[in-house]
This record gives sequence, C-alpha cells and structure tokens, in this order.
Amino acid sequence: MEKQLEDLKAIREMMEKSTKFLSLSGMSGIIAGITAIVGAAFAYFFLLNNVSTASVVGSDDFWMLLADALIVLFISVGAAFYLSMKKAKKNRQKMVKKVVIDTLYHLGVPLLAGGIFSLIFLIRGDIAMVASSTLIFYGLALINVSKFTYPEVHYLGITEIVLGLLAAVFLYHGIIFWTIGFGLCHIFYGLIMHLKYDLKKA
Amino acid sequence: MKNIIAKLNKAFESRIRLGIMSALAVNEALDFNALKDLLDVTDGNLASHLKALESIGYVQSTKQFVGRKPNTRYSITKTGADDFKSHLDALGELLR
Repeated sequence: MEKQLEDLKAIREMMEKSTKFLSLSGMSGIIAGITAIVGAAFAYFFLLNNVSTASVVGSDDFWMLLADALIVLFISVGAAFYLSMKKAKKNRQKMVKKVVIDTLYHLGVPLLAGGIFSLIFLIRGDIAMVASSTLIFYGLALINVSKFTYPEVHYLGITEIVLGLLAAVFLYHGIIFWTIGFGLCHIFYGLIMHLKYDLKKA
Repeated sequence: MKNIIAKLNKAFESRIRLGIMSALAVNEALDFNALKDLLDVTDGNLASHLKALESIGYVQSTKQFVGRKPNTRYSITKTGADDFKSHLDALGELLR
C-alpha cells in the first residue's frame, strides 16, 4: 500500500516536473513590483510633468524615459532569473532545459511583439497608448505561459489585460493603471505565491 | 484485493521506468538528455531501462542528428499509453 502511494506521488511529481516551470519565485514578483513603482514615480515626477517633452522623439526626456523603462525591465528580469535559479538549487531540482525553453518561448513571443508595438507608439509620439499596449501584451504573454507554471500567473494575466483596456479608455491616466498593473499587482500576486509555494517548501 | 494487485503492471515496478512513462505520457517527445535531467540517473542506467521499455513496445525512439551529434528522441506508443493508464487506474483503485 505504502509503495503504491509513493508510486502515485512520484508519477504526479514527474508529470509536473517535466511540463512545468515551478522554480518561479514569488519574491521576484515583489521585487519587480517595487522596481516598477519606483520607475513609474520617477517618470511621473521628472519626465511626464505638465509641459512634457518626453513624447518628442530624440529629446533628452525621451531617452530618459526609455532608459527608465529599460532599467526597470532589466532589474525585474534579472531578479526573476536569479531567484529562480536559487530556488531550483534550494529544492535540488535541475532546471530542465526543455521546460525552460518552452516557458521562455511562450512568454517571449507575445512580449516581444508587444514591446515592438509599444515602441512604435512611442516613436510616433503617441505616448498615451504605451501604458495600455504594454499592459495588454504583458497580460496576453502571462496567460500564454501560465499553462507551464503556477495558476496565479493566469489570474495576473487577466488582471493586466483588464487594466490595459481601462488604460486605453482613460487615456491620460495611463501611468496610474501602469503603476497598478506592473507595481501593485506584481507585489500582490508575488506575495500570494511567496506565501503559498516558497514558504511552505522551506 | 488480489484481483486488483494482479492488474498492476509488472513493467512499471521500477521507479525509473515509472518515471520515464510519466514524463513521456505528458510530453510529445523527450530526448535522452532531457530524460536524464528529469530522472537524475546515469547514462547506462537510463539507457537500459529505455531499451527494456522499447522492447516491450511501450516506447519508441527516433534518431536524428543535431549538427553532428546524434540525438535520440523518445515518445510513448499507443500500447504504452493505454497500459500506463490502466496501471494508473489500478493504483488509484487500490488506494481508494
């Protein structure tokens, strides 16, 4: 009886391990959220003030805005990558190459499309649409990748899409929705995942 | 009780074979190294279990070349999938 129970557990574990990326750390969501809020606050107070020149391509403010966005992206992705490796090591699970590639591919394709799409808006000076398009494409990317990881990622994706659509309606308050979506939502879902998966396993 | 135990498939008694079948049941195909990573076993050990599963017709392999390196991809056969499912059902029944 004991053996059969162990067998079933092993089967289940293997099926999950061979298809899912379970090294994603909740803490990386929290870090990404805080970074996004700091980045958005910087943009809001220093770059997007009343007489904004940030929408003029090639202006100093434009480059600052782009640099701000890229730094936020770099820190978030870097933290996610580092913490995933750490978690995998701690749980003594090898990151299976196939699963990592599947995950990156399904996340990356919509994200890259969205990134280029948003960049086109930015270059055309249509800065108001950027918040909406980044949120929507990010949400779609999350939903697309969620079948390979924790279910919370799916709900986060839906939340981001709703916020992105709202940002398109309330066009000139985009930064608020962006801060909620990339900041608060990341912290919220990151915290849930941290409590649910990371602490339990420790 | 005895009846149900008889339904458990002897081919899946080894934990490694069970692992191989579980991984192949939910993946279209996996190559040798992916299986090795998943199961954390030595080359020789994995190869002999794969060979055994292949000879009873549960697993099939296709060889191809990635650059110059030979790469063998394994997938589950129809018989393998059916028998694995019966084995799972028997396990579940036993524990109910």
